[in-house]
Amino acid sequence: MIHPLAWVGWLAAVMATLSAGRNPLHLVLVLLCIALVEAASPPTTERRSTPITPLRFALTVTAISAMLNALSVRYGDTVLLRLPDWLPLLGGAVTLEALVFGALSGLTLSGLFVTFIVAQRSLPTSALVGLIPRAFYPLAVVAAIAITFVPTTLRQARQIREAQAIRGHRLQRLRDWLPLLLPLLVGGLERAFQLAEAMAARGFASAGQPQHATALRASMVTGLAALLAGWLLILAWGQVRAGQLLMLIGGALLVGTLWLVGRRAPRTRYRRTPWASGDTAVLIGAAVAIIAFTLPLPGIDRAVLAYYPYPLLHLPRFDPVLGFATLGLAWPTAVLRGGRSRVVE
Amino acid sequence: MIDFQNLTYTYPGAARPALRAVALHVPEGGFALVVGPSGCGKSTLARCVGGLVPHFSGGVLRGKLSVGGHDPVALGPGGMSQLVGYVFQDPEAQAVMDRVEDEIAFALEHAGLPRHEMRVRVEETLDLLDLAALRDRALDSLSGGERQRVAIGAALALRPRILVLDEPTSQLDPQSAEDVLQALVRLNHDLGLTILLVEHRMERVLPFVDQVIFLSESGALSGTPEIVMPQIPLMPPLIALGKALGWSPLPLTIKAGLRFSRALALPPAAPAAPATPAAAPFFELQHVDAAYAGRQVLRGVDLAVAPGEIVALLGRNGAGKTTLLKCLVGLHRPTRGRAIASGEDNASRDVAAICRLVGYLPQDPNALLFADTVREELLITLRNHGIADHGEVDALLARLGLTPHANAYPRDLSAGERQRVALGAIMITHPRALLLDEPTRGLDYDAKQQLAELLHEWRSEGIATLLVTHDVEFAALLADRVILMGRGEVIADGPAASVLGSSPLFAPQIARLFPGTGWLTAADALRGLG
Amino acid sequence: MIQRILSGAIYALSTAIGIAAFLAPFFAPIVQQSAQPQAGAATAPLLLTALVGLCFLALLFEIQGSELSAKSVALLGILVAINSVLRFAEVAIPGPGGFSPIFMLIILTGYVFGGQFGFLMGTMTLLVSGVITGGVGPWLPYQMFAAGWVGLSAPLLRPLIRVLGGEGRRGELLALALFGALWGFAYGAIMNLWFWPFAAGPAQQYWTPGTGLAETLRRYLAFYVLTSLVWDALGAAGNVVLILAFGAPIVRALRRFRDRLGFVYQPEWSEQ
Repeated sequence: MIHPLAWVGWLAAVMATLSAGRNPLHLVLVLLCIALVEAASPPTTERRSTPITPLRFALTVTAISAMLNALSVRYGDTVLLRLPDWLPLLGGAVTLEALVFGALSGLTLSGLFVTFIVAQRSLPTSALVGLIPRAFYPLAVVAAIAITFVPTTLRQARQIREAQAIRGHRLQRLRDWLPLLLPLLVGGLERAFQLAEAMAARGFASAGQPQHATALRASMVTGLAALLAGWLLILAWGQVRAGQLLMLIGGALLVGTLWLVGRRAPRTRYRRTPWASGDTAVLIGAAVAIIAFTLPLPGIDRAVLAYYPYPLLHLPRFDPVLGFATLGLAWPTAVLRGGRSRVVE
Repeated sequence: MIDFQNLTYTYPGAARPALRAVALHVPEGGFALVVGPSGCGKSTLARCVGGLVPHFSGGVLRGKLSVGGHDPVALGPGGMSQLVGYVFQDPEAQAVMDRVEDEIAFALEHAGLPRHEMRVRVEETLDLLDLAALRDRALDSLSGGERQRVAIGAALALRPRILVLDEPTSQLDPQSAEDVLQALVRLNHDLGLTILLVEHRMERVLPFVDQVIFLSESGALSGTPEIVMPQIPLMPPLIALGKALGWSPLPLTIKAGLRFSRALALPPAAPAAPATPAAAPFFELQHVDAAYAGRQVLRGVDLAVAPGEIVALLGRNGAGKTTLLKCLVGLHRPTRGRAIASGEDNASRDVAAICRLVGYLPQDPNALLFADTVREELLITLRNHGIADHGEVDALLARLGLTPHANAYPRDLSAGERQRVALGAIMITHPRALLLDEPTRGLDYDAKQQLAELLHEWRSEGIATLLVTHDVEFAALLADRVILMGRGEVIADGPAASVLGSSPLFAPQIARLFPGTGWLTAADALRGLG
Repeated sequence: MIQRILSGAIYALSTAIGIAAFLAPFFAPIVQQSAQPQAGAATAPLLLTALVGLCFLALLFEIQGSELSAKSVALLGILVAINSVLRFAEVAIPGPGGFSPIFMLIILTGYVFGGQFGFLMGTMTLLVSGVITGGVGPWLPYQMFAAGWVGLSAPLLRPLIRVLGGEGRRGELLALALFGALWGFAYGAIMNLWFWPFAAGPAQQYWTPGTGLAETLRRYLAFYVLTSLVWDALGAAGNVVLILAFGAPIVRALRRFRDRLGFVYQPEWSEQ
């Protein structure tokens, strides 16, 4: 068991490395690390299994992406075949470079997908809901209620189906689903009213306007405005440094405001996952990967990552230091296999 | 502790006030039972204590109300939550979280208590309500009684001094109801918690309460059980008999009643009536085995019900009663044996065809209702079967006493009325048999009486009725024959008087008072005693 | 007064940034015309997701903060549960098809209960059903934002429906169905816009001099037709069919409830 925040760190690291570029060799290394973690993570629980295995998904997405790219991009020197020009939108040359690029994009996407599956599999639902920041406490309660009521809703649906069957109802046309859907909905609405009463009786009341509402809103508006302004600077006037700085300020303002609101609300948490050494190891590995891939450190040739097969397909280069840093992503395997069970207090 | 002074409350948009000039007092540490006919305002009264009325429901409230020295109207439910805890009727509609411990801790998290304090309180609450063994369980794996105990725990987490319960056992079977009520008694005796309990089923709890409050059109009548019970029209059979025979002090428990009943001279037991030859059954099960979710639920069950007969089926939870009913209507296929209705095997027909002949009222009639008007509900069944309406709908509505509500929205009606709408929806095809699954859940005495009369009428028209119920008094009132089930097998099958009279678990109150006489209801006893 | 201005500013800014972020792939090539390609620009899709995520959080906070009573929380929770159960149908039905049964309830609850409720309904449905069905991914902020907009924009139909004859008439149902169709395509297009930069990569590596907005649009259109036109058409058609079949009774049921739930306790209730 790995702490949810450690998983979040690992996810961020994977996303950073995957999106740093399309270099096939590095990409394969990252995917290998992900596969290792995937193999070490617990098997899928019945309720949250995806309908398709990660491997099959990866292959399908890669193939589709390759094909799409080849059919929509007409750049590249190695022409595989020429579609007649009169075909609308599709006419033109189909190049190997475009195919390869598409395949690389597909691999990236499937890597992202598998990463999220692995993280979800290893986290119980309550931990996922617990990740919702404190500023959004009412919505966390909504999520908790929804998750609590899904089994009830399923059971109700079965009961309703039987009840309608005994008055002669047969499911033949689309309209016949109404006698199943409507009692479910109305029953749910009635139950919501009773639940609201029970919650109000336990002291759940709306906080009303938070204190310093004006200041909070003003800082959010400023943050948003800074984001927009910074982005415009980059896009329209090419002022990259200034624009990035402004965006950073805006983002920090927004996150800071939300964090402050979270601190202010008097809510405490009953369940707490303790932090273990394995979690620190995972975070360190993730941090190493992020730093190596995003910051311009001496000794690392990050240009290697920006691999484009255009205009002519060529062999990619490999940077061993980056490769080594990538291995930091595989730490969760060791922790998961090390498997001391963790007690969630 | 709780003080109502001349309280009058009207719901928004209502013509008449729900509570009229109510004045009563509940002392600290008291255990008060609120009873009254349906619609008299018991639930409204309960909700006033914590401020849910008028804050949650709107409306106009006049008069003075003081709870623990505070004014609920001024404080609102948020402010009163530390003083008053609530438990409501539906075990499935009160929980926010899906695990027991988290549910108990929810109110504490919301109040922002420090973590160590929360842990202490959660442990205490789990011990108080005997829930420690269930602490990691998911709520939807628990029985109704266990869920209600969790709801009580969740209400007690904030350590209120008053606990208000609005019909907490009406959706539960007797064993679970017993557990919940015993927990309440323990809380009141050991902790001194003030309890205000709204309940229909008085029998179980009357011996333990200090105070009975009877609400009616003319106000509130409050006093000890011995004083109030003789003055009110609703009462369990024991008390009805005691009142009729002038027993004083009025016995509240079987033990107290036995002192009186043993002193009476009983007429000699009537000779057993000669067994009438069994008429040809309308529906039956022959050597039926059934399985559900991998478990064997029914084993070699033989059962037959003839036209014009009411058979009651009793048994503990999990004995397979609902599965048995489902086999009879074709909702469930037996793994062995045959289910026969009107001479034909069920396996050769689909559910819709069987249900034209055999009406089945499910446990929750709300699952049936979705139309905009009562009349439309009945018409929908006719349309499903492809039958045109030639006045049957209006005739049946009149029969069920629903004509004034013919254009009302069914889900707005009271529990008894909704059940009758559901009965209308399944009886509109004029089936010759009727299966009822726990029809008395959530009904008050009046509604039960009306249902009993309806079933009597239908019996005299030759309808074969199988009644699955936990309510022994109701079965005693109606049944010609009683079948007991245990662990998927039929344990006993015979005339009501002998089966109910001799069963230690399922004997009604009168039978316990007068064992061996074959009397089951107060009317029987009065007739027998002359 | 100032609160409403600030509140409106949050709505406006977050929507503006959101739309701009969704449309970013279209004007990226124009931008790259002058600037030299940077290695960091390759992270653009994730940066855009982060941007969308931030403004989504701002808008979510604003909408949540204005009123979340016990009634709304309970109602949202249970409706989201029902909608998530409906989404199982989408995940369980194999094969292609952008049909998702969740939009019917999002549109109808937004229409009856108000834009804020609709926004939260859309957002939380995607979140909870994603958690339950294992569909959480970096696309989730986009999904939540887009579904939120679906619910938020539903009340815009009210003046139109008043013109068409008022509540309970045929016009209401048709307008809602059309709305469902439009959003069926729009939602698909938005999610595609998320997918495209990932699949096609940063614009500049295949950009040749002379490519302008028109060319980019053409390429996106090609991409769209190949991938998502049929998919979204199925989604739009699904919405229309569901709303036409079930919309009227559901709206009636929701309206009955709106009155019961709308109680705000006014302190001046006492003497009347």
